[in-house]
Amino acid sequence: MPAIEPSLPVAKTKAVAGHAAKERRAAWVLTAPALTLMVIVLLAPVIIAGLLSFTNYSLGNSGFDWVGTRNYEKLFTRATYEKMFLATLTYVVTVVPVSVGLGLGTALLINSLGRFREIYKTIYFLPVMATLLAMAIAWEFMLHPSIGMVNRTLEMGCGTFLEQIWPFMADGCADRFPVWLGDKRYAIWVICFIGVWQGFGFNMVLYLAGLTSVHRELYHAAEMDGAKSAWERFRLVTWPALGPTTVFVVTITCIRAFQVFDTIEAFWPQGGGPNKSTYVMMFAIFEKGIQQNLIGVGSAITMLFLAFVMFLTLIQRWLVERKVHYK
Amino acid sequence: MAGLSIENITKRFGETEVLKGVSLDIADGEFVSLVGPSGCGKSTLLRIIAGLEEQCTGDIQIGGHSVAGRRAADRNLSMVFQSYALYPHLSVGENIAVPLRMRRMKGLQRLPLIGGFLPGARAVAGGIGRDVTLAAEMLEIGHLLDRKPGQLSGGQRQRVALGRALVREPAAFLLDEPLSNLDAKLRVQTRAEIAQLHRRLAATFIYVTHDQVEAMTMSDRIAVMMGGRILQCAPPDAVYEDPDWIEVAEFIGSPKINILPLEILSNGRLSLLDHALNLAVIDGSRGVASLGLRPEALRLTGGDSPIRGRVAHSENLGSELFVQIEVSGLEERVTLRAIPEQRKALALGTPVALDFDTDNALVFDADGARMRGLRHLNAATSEVA
Repeated sequence: MPAIEPSLPVAKTKAVAGHAAKERRAAWVLTAPALTLMVIVLLAPVIIAGLLSFTNYSLGNSGFDWVGTRNYEKLFTRATYEKMFLATLTYVVTVVPVSVGLGLGTALLINSLGRFREIYKTIYFLPVMATLLAMAIAWEFMLHPSIGMVNRTLEMGCGTFLEQIWPFMADGCADRFPVWLGDKRYAIWVICFIGVWQGFGFNMVLYLAGLTSVHRELYHAAEMDGAKSAWERFRLVTWPALGPTTVFVVTITCIRAFQVFDTIEAFWPQGGGPNKSTYVMMFAIFEKGIQQNLIGVGSAITMLFLAFVMFLTLIQRWLVERKVHYK
Repeated sequence: MAGLSIENITKRFGETEVLKGVSLDIADGEFVSLVGPSGCGKSTLLRIIAGLEEQCTGDIQIGGHSVAGRRAADRNLSMVFQSYALYPHLSVGENIAVPLRMRRMKGLQRLPLIGGFLPGARAVAGGIGRDVTLAAEMLEIGHLLDRKPGQLSGGQRQRVALGRALVREPAAFLLDEPLSNLDAKLRVQTRAEIAQLHRRLAATFIYVTHDQVEAMTMSDRIAVMMGGRILQCAPPDAVYEDPDWIEVAEFIGSPKINILPLEILSNGRLSLLDHALNLAVIDGSRGVASLGLRPEALRLTGGDSPIRGRVAHSENLGSELFVQIEVSGLEERVTLRAIPEQRKALALGTPVALDFDTDNALVFDADGARMRGLRHLNAATSEVA
């Protein structure tokens, strides 16, 4: 609003004020549909879940009691939930760096190729496009302890030099190879492996897109400035240029890692793997909220989940604005 | 600082031959411009000198030593790129320091965080800091050292790129169209500054440009390149006044030189638009030729003249006037440089006759090569003919 000068006649001042009010009303009318939708679809469910997390509500019950923070207390005291946090943390801490690193590595390799680029891109991207549930079934067959491809292949190494240099092989040949999906020592790592296998192709594509924005002349400048090794050029040019991509890739991968569910549901429909070693948050929400109809506890885990994801998103926003846009 | 010698460089990209045997000797401390239209191979030649591109045949010597097979980083040359190619994540000071860090520090000392604690790193870093400050002061960008390139104007970025090039003492500076991203006013100013910088550093400069004005105003010598060859390499005034090829004459000079068709008569005399000139060839060549006349070589005349026409367009630049004249029998208009006092006599549509001094006439043969050693006939002979 421009400042109204004192010499202006009163009528004109009124007209200006009236016009501004009209404009304000129009603005509200125009944003109303979007605002309504946002409240109904996004905000209201979150608020409701937040409220429900302080109750003992079950679907079908006519009423509920407020239980205060008891649901949250459970989350932080019971051993089951300790396992939940451990499994989720293990998965996130393993899958995020490995799939980001692999994604970057393959993107750099593919980018350096002259020919066959498209073929490699397609190959690595295939697992991303596949339905994870169907892939989980395929993996279940492959990981079968006696007839699965994985253990069969390992058995071929028995009697060779591998037995001498690799204790795992020696143990497997002497006794038997692991029951991958039934052993609590291996189950979470199998899930991590499948998560990486399925996810890094997506990161690769994002990095490939990021690499196209690296100015070629910068590499020449780096060479003229005396950066002789590929590592120096990567540190001086490629890595900084990929900063915004990396922040995005890490955030997206983190959120996806927190969301892991399909494989666990496909492998162990009845409860989070051997000795609950793969009892991740998403599965816990599903089990408590849907299977056992404990909406209160399910909502509490959901709120916690939301807090994690929100925290990650905020870090990303901060990083993008402060660190990697170089302004 | 060192001189450079380029010997018979050829370069092909697949089927296309970009450089067809280029040779050039550049003395220590000389400022040589490679100028030519886009696609003539000048940038490729510069990149071959830099070592960013490899020649197919030929050799390059820097300071008397061949650099064949030596990579760009080891040739001790500095380059300023057209896009400036500044590292966007580093501040101005860090950008300028990069070439020194890469050369003076060991790999471990360059590592972030721990690098600074390694033995000797402090001393090296201090030396680098002093050199960066010196370079920045020379270019008057000392107050910008903490900014990121994204916060700078085009002219400032250009200075940072120059600073990064001159912070160490390379054998030669290579500049690849460094002014083409600047606006016209800044370009004129920076042009003068680069020329001054060259005088101050007394270093060897190789400057690539498509802008003949830049080449004319800054260089000790201009190498005019066309179609993968250097057609002529000479000081600016020689290239302008005494071109070897018609392409050179056409490329250098603004407005463009007037090219008129000539006929060589049986007695060797030259004839322009059916008027015999007081010029004759001394060798026995016959047929057609071309006459090059700079706009300032033409003058208005009242008398008999082969070049007659009407004023079709005129551009008044204040201090001078460029008048385009439609000459009967010629497809292209002839440009005349006039002084503002003549403006009245050159209104649109006015019939004019143009004369010139045969001393200023540049004659080229049918292939475009300059014909020198013409015989000047005196006026009396011309009457007889």
